[in-house]
Amino acid sequence: MREVYVAGIGITSFTRLEYPLVEIAAYPGLMAMKESRIKSIDQLYVANMGASRANRQTGLASAVIDHMSLTPAGAETIENGPASGASAIKQGFLGVASGMYDTVMVIGAERMREVNNLEATDIVASLTHPLVEYIYGVTLPSLAGMFARLYMDKYGVTSRHLGMVAVKNHKHAMDNFYAHLHEEITLEGILDSKDALTNNPMVADPLRYYDCCPVSDGGACLILTTADIAKKTGKPMVRLAGVGQATDTHAVQDRKNPTDLLAVREAAKKSFAMAALKPKDVHVAELHDAFTILEIVESEEVGFFEKGQGHIALQEGYTKLGGKLPINPSGGLKAKGHPVGATGVGQAQEIVLQLRGEAGKRQVKNAKVGFTCNFGGFGNNVVCLTFVREN
Amino acid sequence: MEKNIYAYKCKRCGHVQYPYRTICRNCHDNDHNEFDIVPLSKKGKIVTFTHLYNPPSDFETVCLTLGIVELDDGNRVTCQLNIPKPKMGMKVAGKVEVVRKDEYNKYYGFVFYEA
Repeated sequence: MREVYVAGIGITSFTRLEYPLVEIAAYPGLMAMKESRIKSIDQLYVANMGASRANRQTGLASAVIDHMSLTPAGAETIENGPASGASAIKQGFLGVASGMYDTVMVIGAERMREVNNLEATDIVASLTHPLVEYIYGVTLPSLAGMFARLYMDKYGVTSRHLGMVAVKNHKHAMDNFYAHLHEEITLEGILDSKDALTNNPMVADPLRYYDCCPVSDGGACLILTTADIAKKTGKPMVRLAGVGQATDTHAVQDRKNPTDLLAVREAAKKSFAMAALKPKDVHVAELHDAFTILEIVESEEVGFFEKGQGHIALQEGYTKLGGKLPINPSGGLKAKGHPVGATGVGQAQEIVLQLRGEAGKRQVKNAKVGFTCNFGGFGNNVVCLTFVREN
Repeated sequence: MEKNIYAYKCKRCGHVQYPYRTICRNCHDNDHNEFDIVPLSKKGKIVTFTHLYNPPSDFETVCLTLGIVELDDGNRVTCQLNIPKPKMGMKVAGKVEVVRKDEYNKYYGFVFYEA
């Protein structure tokens, strides 16, 4: 296999965007081409989950490649639920590593805000098991609520710990121009004050409003290429060193131990093995905190902390900017936003920025190894990526 | 007639699976792929639950109580709970009722009540 490098990156604001999906996809692509001075590509992968329903558009990659005037390069749309982004990066990696392509553009793009919140939640809920989950009214927040209740009961995690994830990630997002929520919050405001229940109502108890990510529009891009082409960009060399993916049962009810996220564990293990690194080597991570509980549990399952210790590390400030292992310096899905199909590419974009030393006020000092966990379904399809800064 | 929800018992190894899969999760026998249908138990206990305050638009309610119940036969099912104050471990008894309706269809599933 050839080694694969990130030549260029780009991103849009994650927010409500009032322009068409193809443009949301194209802008970060053009940004990445501009900074890398790459003018042509061999292949485009577009990660997206909801376009056929939210935007009544199919064949998205064909539309995007034409919109960017990059024909006749190959183009495909990749759909893997909320893990579409990292799945598309995986395809790009395979293309370059195999020698089939020299330069692959990976774009994630989503425009969920074209429909209302209930419809957007339903589009995402359609990835649950149609016969044994969806018919009952199961949505992703409800699965997260049921999971959180079990987890909190078993490991002594409290609503305060969940709140700490939200407070931390909202604070991180204050220094991220592209984040959806620029709104600093406090535990007092969301849990303790007499207005707490108004500020922070129940969504799927024990999860409240500030335990859930917003529904965002947005796009992000990574250009993957060979060492020779990456060198010409003049940018610091960031290598995509590890790609790991794993699956778990479609329905959450079927998991032997319902507080385990085995697909996260397995995907992380594979990613670290390919990179010949260990969880302790990581300097900065972007984890899939669609719900606050997930950041805590994923930080354990990927191997940063022992099972049941994630909330302790959080409480001690280990995972905030300035701590020993900053998690979600971008603000995470919680505050940076969650444009479903684009999220995995957005996570990778942040890690590349961090490893290049270009993250500005939220820069993690001397970050050389970065990690992302992109969580599809409710943990039934997970892709983890490991990036390494080389020079 | 009393309605049931059925699980699938592998004719080769006897493993019971719910929901249906085209191949047995236990023995992976791909030569026969035959199952007997067996009704799921209607008694069990609550594993976990949530009150969902923003249910999908097909539901004309402001709060939907959802849960996962472990049945006496060992299978676990996701379900609706018609219990105002559910608790983990609470004993429950189920009925098969309409759990969702849209313009064209009615969907039957498990609704559990306090036993």
